[in-house]
Amino acid sequence: MQDHANSVAASQYRGGIALDLFLQQVLNGLTLGSIYGLVALGLTLVYGILHVPNFAHGALYMVGAYVSYITMVDFGANYWIAMIASAISVAVLAVLCERLVFNPLREAPPIHDKIAAIGIMLFLEAMVQMKFGAEFRRMPTPYTDILDVAGMTIPAQRVLIIIGAFALMAVLHLFLKKTMTGSTIVAMAQNREGAFLVGIDANRVAMMTFAISGVLAAVGATLFAPINLVYPAMGHLLIMKAFVIIILGGMGSIPGAIVGGLIIGFAEAFGGFYISTDYKDIIAFALLVLILSVKPTGLFTKGVR
Amino acid sequence: MSKGTLKRFCRLACASAIALAATGAQAAETLNIGFTGPLSGGAALYGQNTLEGLQMAAEEINSSGGFQVDGETYEINVVSLDDKYAPSQAAVNGKRLVQQYNAPVIFTPHSGGTFALQAFNERDGFVVMSYTSVPTVTEKGNELTVRIPPTFTGYMKPFTKIAMAQNGKKVAIANATHDYAKYWTKAFVPTWEAMGGTVVADNPMDYNKSADFYTGVSKVLAEKPDVMFIGGASEPTALVAKQARELGFKGGFVIMDQAKMGEMAKIIGGYKMLEGSVGVVPLTLYEEPGAKAFVAKYHQQNDGKDPTTEVAYNYFALYSVVQAMQEAGTVEDATAIRAAMGQALKNLAPENNPYGVTEIDANGGMQADPNIATVKDGKVVLQRISEVLAD
Repeated sequence: MQDHANSVAASQYRGGIALDLFLQQVLNGLTLGSIYGLVALGLTLVYGILHVPNFAHGALYMVGAYVSYITMVDFGANYWIAMIASAISVAVLAVLCERLVFNPLREAPPIHDKIAAIGIMLFLEAMVQMKFGAEFRRMPTPYTDILDVAGMTIPAQRVLIIIGAFALMAVLHLFLKKTMTGSTIVAMAQNREGAFLVGIDANRVAMMTFAISGVLAAVGATLFAPINLVYPAMGHLLIMKAFVIIILGGMGSIPGAIVGGLIIGFAEAFGGFYISTDYKDIIAFALLVLILSVKPTGLFTKGVR
Repeated sequence: MSKGTLKRFCRLACASAIALAATGAQAAETLNIGFTGPLSGGAALYGQNTLEGLQMAAEEINSSGGFQVDGETYEINVVSLDDKYAPSQAAVNGKRLVQQYNAPVIFTPHSGGTFALQAFNERDGFVVMSYTSVPTVTEKGNELTVRIPPTFTGYMKPFTKIAMAQNGKKVAIANATHDYAKYWTKAFVPTWEAMGGTVVADNPMDYNKSADFYTGVSKVLAEKPDVMFIGGASEPTALVAKQARELGFKGGFVIMDQAKMGEMAKIIGGYKMLEGSVGVVPLTLYEEPGAKAFVAKYHQQNDGKDPTTEVAYNYFALYSVVQAMQEAGTVEDATAIRAAMGQALKNLAPENNPYGVTEIDANGGMQADPNIATVKDGKVVLQRISEVLAD
């Protein structure tokens, strides 16, 4: 209590510093929120096809980080080349998952998809652990500068995360809204039977959706890994948040994933700073309960069952 | 049978005859040493490392022809059972090791397993060799327990003393949230305050479940501490230190002993960011001849891989047991073996005692005087705890 009283007193006479700290949390919230949003986007797109959450999405994210790591460290490639290599490999891996596992199960009850997704997750993690061990690795980045803007600390990599994530979201939005191929994905997510009736090839759309989710996971991982660590269980951290986000934003909703990601990111940053770091996850979950009790279908629902 | 196989069979038969003749002359008896620890699940790596130390010592002893007690030659067989970190399973394993394998000594690398074995070790007559730095395992007066590493409470005073002298008296708590970290905080805060310091922020963070530490670290730094108390697994601890530097922290870190400075330096590219910090380093940086000899031997056997603390301490512990059996003149009487442990530590060869442990207290706690490290001008300076407290 003593400490708390001190800190309140201290922050009162340091108004200027308090504003810096506030802006610093805005930046932290944006960084976390944009990565959460990116991962949740892939999850929500695949939900439109599978109609169950793809539990293996976090493992795809992890594989993306490893591919980038290996391309950069073992092959000495440039950061952006590593990102492209990782995006392509994870997209192929995601399509393989769809072809070999989810497609044969399309007539099976939804529980089979869930079990298969968990199976893929365990398989990928065990494979990576067997090949590379359980140890933590650190991904290098060429963007190590630390910008100091009006008393705020802004490492260049964090700026890159925010810009990169939002740029990718914008491209995805244009693709889905403005192109015919993109529209087929949206159509399929909105109404499967309707999509078949107008002659949309379900196989093509499913593969494409998985490939896009793989790209999102890989790019997200390559953006975020340099400020974090690379290890086989790294996907768990984000996938739990991503689930919360897509439930919060409405299952299958694209704006829902982005807004949900930002809500959780800001809740963690501000809750962690102004209340307690220990309770930041509780704050995120309390928010989920609150939003769901007001709007049980999530913030942006489109009637996807 | 073709000609080729016949030839091979003959060769094999000859070889085994020679081998039999060679060992038959000594007819070494096999002595079972028990181990119960996590060999699967989340703590598997930790359990495997502790077991590796025991197996390394056993192989060395056996390949040099075993050891002699009372005119009889013995070879060691380490019997390892998996307890998945569960005390209840450790107790079941303990019973099995005593009844089925007649093990006079059982190693366990966790405090839960130690407490479980202590429920019946005095009655069943075996020594518990406990690899844990939790002080309570030896404070309950169990007469057949040996705690292998020093307790973490030994680090409190020297860490506080160094950190205060180098940086100042305001500390912020920002270590991890698991049990071990909480024990540390509970011992560290009173020591810090007793030596005239204040705690300006108390904000532990979950090192394993946080995607980012910026928020937690900036919360702590808002209180302008001179010293940050951090620590969990080495790698996330390194990230916390790095992010604190990015956010403008100029003071020093007190680093909980779970994190090793050498491992942290690998993650954040050297010791520059750890300037003014105090913590522990891996054995590979120790200057003592015993430590150097052990590290060299381990490097040679494992393609240059660095030994972990777990390997080194358990390797030493098995040697100390064997030495105690020789001093006591028995491989069966647990009470005599435990009683001879003090003498054994004095007579142990330095290369088998990398941490230079020379004493054991009445409760069974081994007393090492470990090196602690401070970072000055980007370089690691090592001092023994006794040296720090003396000046």
